[in-house]
Amino acid sequence: MAPTAPRPNPLLLAAIGLGAGVLSGLFGVGGGIVMVPAMVLLAAVAQHRASATSLAAIVPIALVGAFIFGRADSVDVPAAVVLTVGSLVGVQIGTRVMARMGADRLRIGFALFMIAIAISMLIT
Amino acid sequence: MSLPEILALLAIGLTAGMLAGLLGVGGGIVMVPAMVLFIGFDQHVAQGTSLLVIIPAAALGSFTHHRHGRLALRDAAALAAGGVLGALLGSVIALSLDEELLQRLFAILILAVAFRMLLTQRAAPTPREPETT
Repeated sequence: MAPTAPRPNPLLLAAIGLGAGVLSGLFGVGGGIVMVPAMVLLAAVAQHRASATSLAAIVPIALVGAFIFGRADSVDVPAAVVLTVGSLVGVQIGTRVMARMGADRLRIGFALFMIAIAISMLIT
Repeated sequence: MSLPEILALLAIGLTAGMLAGLLGVGGGIVMVPAMVLFIGFDQHVAQGTSLLVIIPAAALGSFTHHRHGRLALRDAAALAAGGVLGALLGSVIALSLDEELLQRLFAILILAVAFRMLLTQRAAPTPREPETT
């Protein structure tokens, strides 16, 4: 990537952030699912740069969401600590395995598994 | 928290982290339904807890990117400016929704993400592909 790549329009970025923020607060996810493709497709940001930038924006976005949910007594802090410990170990393993294998088959398997989860959530 | 609950949470965190490292997804979208279906968390509590877990994970990840010079801080600030407002809005809406309805909406989000994964080449999204929202 040339260092002189044009800077994306901040207003466009704020609009993308707004949409991702609503999704994040509404569903308890980070919002990268929306921000990364939107930055790539609408703001012409390179993929790797879009993921890095979206990750940084997720910090204040999740902070606000966690605060609002916390005020409504809807955050389980001990559970969050245990989940964090597990996920920090998991990310290390995942990134290391990633460097050695293609993730295509895994991605398809994961997508199918998530569809099954969604269906079970819809019918229960 | 009982011991089985702690072990289940550890396993969920480990799985979500591994998938995040492998596929770039797998934070909230994995943790929330896992907490609800496998441990019996309330949908709202699962979502609030997921948001709290995401903070250190994203902070750590961005710090690494920043050290490697891959982070455009001004762009992140612009995203966050809109994002914080949206998060406020989204959270208030989520908390006002009935648990069962929220869970069904979440299932639709999962379906959208799953189909997007099935249709997308890794790191090369096609321009014609519809947005996940």
